Amino acid sequence: MSNRLPTQKSSSSSTVETQSLCAALNRRSFLSQSGVGLGGLALADLLSQESASGAEVEQGVLGSPHFVPKAKRIIYLFMSGGPSHLDLLDYKPELNRLHGQQLPDSVRGGQRLTGMSGNQSSIPLVGSPFKFQQHGEGGAWFSETLPETAAIADDLCVINSMYTEAINHGPGVTFMQTGTQIAGRPSMGAWLSYGLGQESANLPSFVVMVTKDKGGQPLGAHLWGSGFLPTKHQGVRFRAGADPVLYLGNPAGVDTQSRRMLLDRMKELHEHQYSTTPDSEIQNRIAHYEMAFAMQSSVPEATDFASESQAVLEMYGPDVNTPGTFAANCLQARRLAERGVRFIQLYHPGWDHHGGVPGAIPKSCKETDQPAAALVKDLKRTGLLDDTLVIWGGEFGRTNYCQGKISPNFGRDHHPRCFSMWMAGGGIKPGTLHGETDELGYSVVRDGVHIHDLHATILHLLGIDHERLTYKFQGRRYRLTDVHGHVVPGILA
Amino acid sequence: MKTCVLNVVLMLTAMLVHPVKGADRVSFNHDVRPILSDKCFFCHGPDSERREADLRLDDRAAAIEAGAINVNKPDASELIRRVLSTDEDEQMPPPSAKLGHLSPQEIETLKAWIEQGAVYENHWAFVPLKPLPETDQSVTSLIDEAVERGLEKRGLTRQPEADRHTLIRRLSFDLTGLPPTPEDIETFVSDKSPEAYEHLVDRLLTSTAYGEKMAVDWLDIARYADSYGFQVDREREMWPWRDWVIRAFNENKPFDQFLTEQLAGDLLPDATQDQILATAFNRLHQQESEGGSVEEEYRVEYVCDRVQTFATAFLGLTFECSRCHDHKYDPITQKEYYQLFAMFQNIDEAGLYSFFTNSPPTPALELTDAATRERLDALQQKVEAIEKSGKELKAARAAVFDEWVKTQSESLSEEKTTLPGELARFPLDEVTGGKLANTVQADQLATLAGGNQIVPGRTGNAVQFSGDDALNLPLGNFGRHEPFSVSLWLQTPDVKDRAVVFHRSRAWTDAASRGYELLIEEGRLKWSLIHFWPGNAISIRAVDPVPVGEWLQVTVTYDGSSRADGLTLYVNGQPARVDVIKDNLTKEITGGGGDNITLGERFRDRGFKEGLIDDFRVFGRELTALEATAIHDEVSAESLLSVDENSEATEDRNQQFEWYLSTIDEEWAKHLKTLQESRAEWYQAADGVKGIMVMRELPEPKPAYVLFRGEYTQRREEVFAGTPAALSPFPEDAPRNRLGLAQWLIDPQHPLTARVTVNRIWQSLFGRGIVQTAEDFGSQGARPSYPEVLDTLSAGFISSGWDVKQLLKTIVMSQTYRQRSIADKKVMEDDPGNEWLARGPRFRLSAEMIRDNALASAGLLVQRTGGPPVNPYELSESFKPAAASGGDGVYRRSLYTRWRRTGPPPAMIAFDAPRRAVCTAKRERTDSPLQALVLLNGEQYVEAARVLGEHVYLEADGDVPGMIEAGFLRCLSRRPDASEVEILSALYREQLEYFRQHSEGAEQLLKIGRAPRDAAIPVAEAAAATVLAQALLNHDASVVKR
Repeated sequence: MSNRLPTQKSSSSSTVETQSLCAALNRRSFLSQSGVGLGGLALADLLSQESASGAEVEQGVLGSPHFVPKAKRIIYLFMSGGPSHLDLLDYKPELNRLHGQQLPDSVRGGQRLTGMSGNQSSIPLVGSPFKFQQHGEGGAWFSETLPETAAIADDLCVINSMYTEAINHGPGVTFMQTGTQIAGRPSMGAWLSYGLGQESANLPSFVVMVTKDKGGQPLGAHLWGSGFLPTKHQGVRFRAGADPVLYLGNPAGVDTQSRRMLLDRMKELHEHQYSTTPDSEIQNRIAHYEMAFAMQSSVPEATDFASESQAVLEMYGPDVNTPGTFAANCLQARRLAERGVRFIQLYHPGWDHHGGVPGAIPKSCKETDQPAAALVKDLKRTGLLDDTLVIWGGEFGRTNYCQGKISPNFGRDHHPRCFSMWMAGGGIKPGTLHGETDELGYSVVRDGVHIHDLHATILHLLGIDHERLTYKFQGRRYRLTDVHGHVVPGILA
Repeated sequence: MKTCVLNVVLMLTAMLVHPVKGADRVSFNHDVRPILSDKCFFCHGPDSERREADLRLDDRAAAIEAGAINVNKPDASELIRRVLSTDEDEQMPPPSAKLGHLSPQEIETLKAWIEQGAVYENHWAFVPLKPLPETDQSVTSLIDEAVERGLEKRGLTRQPEADRHTLIRRLSFDLTGLPPTPEDIETFVSDKSPEAYEHLVDRLLTSTAYGEKMAVDWLDIARYADSYGFQVDREREMWPWRDWVIRAFNENKPFDQFLTEQLAGDLLPDATQDQILATAFNRLHQQESEGGSVEEEYRVEYVCDRVQTFATAFLGLTFECSRCHDHKYDPITQKEYYQLFAMFQNIDEAGLYSFFTNSPPTPALELTDAATRERLDALQQKVEAIEKSGKELKAARAAVFDEWVKTQSESLSEEKTTLPGELARFPLDEVTGGKLANTVQADQLATLAGGNQIVPGRTGNAVQFSGDDALNLPLGNFGRHEPFSVSLWLQTPDVKDRAVVFHRSRAWTDAASRGYELLIEEGRLKWSLIHFWPGNAISIRAVDPVPVGEWLQVTVTYDGSSRADGLTLYVNGQPARVDVIKDNLTKEITGGGGDNITLGERFRDRGFKEGLIDDFRVFGRELTALEATAIHDEVSAESLLSVDENSEATEDRNQQFEWYLSTIDEEWAKHLKTLQESRAEWYQAADGVKGIMVMRELPEPKPAYVLFRGEYTQRREEVFAGTPAALSPFPEDAPRNRLGLAQWLIDPQHPLTARVTVNRIWQSLFGRGIVQTAEDFGSQGARPSYPEVLDTLSAGFISSGWDVKQLLKTIVMSQTYRQRSIADKKVMEDDPGNEWLARGPRFRLSAEMIRDNALASAGLLVQRTGGPPVNPYELSESFKPAAASGGDGVYRRSLYTRWRRTGPPPAMIAFDAPRRAVCTAKRERTDSPLQALVLLNGEQYVEAARVLGEHVYLEADGDVPGMIEAGFLRCLSRRPDASEVEILSALYREQLEYFRQHSEGAEQLLKIGRAPRDAAIPVAEAAAATVLAQALLNHDASVVKR
């Protein structure tokens, strides 16, 4: 390996003799400056004699966490559209008793409704059509539509007291993912990549997968964007199909042999260029081409289920064999977690049940219940659950009154004042029920958890003081929690 | 390892920051302000709301008075005591601020500063520019000298001038965004005259590619995109504005005009279409149409986005903070923020765009070319001529009427039960099989559904509405050229703040109310025809409220004129007193769905809850006043005719005459028919013209308020248009609107406008600005590395008449710019970011340049300027996939790539193109393996390599060194040396061998992209040439400007 190590990225470059500064710093600063997300990919192999240790990965800005982390990585199962807490996890028998009666003004308290039902003349309460049962030691209630999730109740912490301010999907999802309602700030995964760096040397630190062909409320690439953070921290979307990463595969007609020959000659050319133009950026370039080549095998390996046992595949359910399904993405998430991806963000759209709650909720559950539960079990089986945080939930809840006319096939409008999530794994108190809403499931009455609080807690679990992970942009220090957020001790193990 | 890191950091710090020695004069702006701003101002700065202990450190007198500073006595200054304290309750910054401690270095600086008198200085960026010195020296040589002095001070020297191949490549990308052609290179390199370089600069500045290159940076600033953004992110047509920008740069529009037209073109005297088009700049922010969103919430967001973009683009300041509170670091109060807000909100806009129609949100400019304008003018004049002839005809028919009346005395008593032109009448008396009868068209029934009920009415029964259920009538899709009328009885149970009585439209905000509607708003009847609410509509509203619990007879009419005075509202048979609410209808009212009259309910709107409607009638003509009275009085219109020639009641006489004209007079009927036909023709032509969102100032300013915490629901103190006092005085006599704002900006006394602009131009050439934080010239921003260079260029820029091309020329003519970009190792190490300019600019090309370079090298680039956006191949791989454009769309310059905010072009994003959600003054520049994948495997680049391979093969007639040389010139703008020829020859041979053995693979490779393959070249050779070209397009020197 060359003893000249590039130390700077792109426009700012220099070369430093290994001898002149300590090697570790060199490598580290090179690693921290290279790459969009995939920065440190296989770099250890390329540049370090110590590659066998596999420890040389891109470091985050924090260097080391603020305190001992309970979780090293996150798998976030985002249920996009706003799952109905009232039909899934927040059991409200009183609502069924008052079915058909108007929402009392005393409960609503003048809170703003969306423009979709806000002008309705009549807002009758609707009870859940589903049966509920308590499961696990924490006494959490689960609707009959979530049998597999209910079965792992003792691994979960169910939060019934989430709340937000957003009343629509665009701002709601953006709030949950970036800490602000207006698109443009860094997403949670980008913050973690920025703060903690990579856990793996050969995969991106932040991967996004969206269930294929789901329709539903549109998502946008800003949700996994890096905002004002360097673009290398943005999420890399893995797509279902031949090229999980954009242009990963060689062009038709070019195989590995031909590509390798090209890269070898390019390396020669670049080394020659470096001899006449001694700019460390050229060395960066050589490294990035080699990393790209390495990715062409490491990414397909990570996305290939061939090595999974039949038992594991069956655990996730039949959809697991169809690329792009939620089940396939869940198994993929476990594989990426094993390989050290820091933040694995899944999106499953289709939870926006303005109508047809009795039929639509079981359908969404059928797609997600088994795979989500299987993921937790699988992580537990492989010992990963100890330091992997799994989060399940959407951007808001749904109204306890029906949208439009009351009918057997009723729907529910968006509801920001309370909703439910569950978490499992790294640092979470298992078998817990946290928070409570009023008897009509309209407002939080105990232990409310705001989105900012959730973010503060997630960062806390990863060993980060949310007030100290900041980025100075346009003259001010920004953070994921803006100027808010409190860690929620009640859900911590 | 930690110790090692720490040591190195300390070492570097020591190198970069000169320690303050006793004798050194401490500069407030240079040394002290950065510390105070970063560590103290958050709680002890300009923000009065959050100020702790009533102490401010940004104001000398206040800091001294509070005892924080004891002049000349650091040890007796509370400030120093506190930063030294280790007591958690006393130390500053407090542990709760999580800002850490001040370094010993910083504390020493503060001490020295206080010892030397604690002199404050105005923030450098707010100090007005000095005029250029009186000298014969060119600005170019002034800046070279300033840089030389700076280098000398640091023991550095300038690099020699770069070689000619490097210079032409550098200049070509910097001024046109494209590589030089081999011919251009040859010409320049062989031109030995001393003016060769300057001639090249001049030539490049006159190419049309110049405007395209300059536009790219401005599109980032303006957050230009081809879609609305946010969640729904529908496409929208704003590209005519993008083309305006390209034209403006190519015409070298002086920057002060460029700025003024974009901020306030609509307010210029006799504004041209182009000047109004320029104001689209203010409408390029994201917009929302997600169902259920709150209109006012987003309107406020839009205005705030305008303010922020304005501040970043022209002031280089961050105003976002002041939306919620006084700025923590810079002297901008929250009140001042809303004074700017007041200027940017004063247009007739909605906070949501229409989901069900494709109309651009108002205000919109109808964009016409000369021919269309001429045709529209002619059609309008024709209508106006007919209207005028109508007046003459009316005068002429008065006598005929008088005669006619006399002849009618016998028959007048005869009662007529129907009025002419009646299309439908729903007595709403009984339901038969769920249907409500229509006494005019017996087969066109209405259906009673849901919670709407038949209840006792004014006569017989009436319908009482649930508010959530529609009563649909099977007619009513009138165009705006058609006169029509509706008559009904109604009764409201309470004072309605808002209720839909009847309408023809798909929805309220979700369709921008397109259609027509009778509402009760703030208790009053409101009758409107709407293309896009609020900016494109006619609307009148009754002065008197609707009485509660009483039956009211209401007739509304429209005459087909598209004018508010063509709307009439009759209450109980008499014309109602009305206010004109809107009078600007220039586009169709049909479309969007909901093509029939609906009573009592509308999608996501408030229905006529518990309201009653009886006897609903629709007419295909404008009823006259006499008929409105007749309907109310339930008599025939004829019975109201007076035959008494001596009647004093002129008003009655006029009403009778109007009725006569409308119902009896055949000449008048002919006139109306002609008028309607000519209007239809005019409107149809006008409806076909495309609109684009622009600014159009409302005549009366909208009231503006401080919004507590920036929240749209929290209005506080009323504020009026104004600018931040700390920056520059508002020019006397300037209007308090966006035009005045522009005049304020371009005043030569303004400290920021020229500096910020010059800095961005510098940044585009050198990769970083003289002020590194191009987006923040405030207290928290970086200080200029060469203040003198920035100020000299800025003063020169203003005195040149804001001549952008001259500014560019001034810079690129400098020796500073023309240096080699590689210096010796020490210089590179000490100043990796090239802050001190000891070498020339060098950085990776932008996303656009990299792609355009590949297309240009392959001869595929289509150099056609402007037009609708196109989809290159990569959009099929986007998060919101779109098929590649047909024709030559995939070969256009990258700035024409369709920019969809939620699914931007992925390959361009990989090269750090911003998403354009918000104003971006500076792009990131990162390198990654993802970029290698794009360049090696992306369809656009593989195709370009294939075509480039063919070209060089044919040019060199298959001679390998010849191919390599031709390829080098095309991609790298230079000739290869012997080693490079050798390496690439080996590559070609290997690949040729490989493809000879893999002919199927070669065939596949040669099918990539849609450019036809030249069959004259053997397959294996063509494939090998493709890979050869790939090596060139991926070469460092192809993608890096040096």
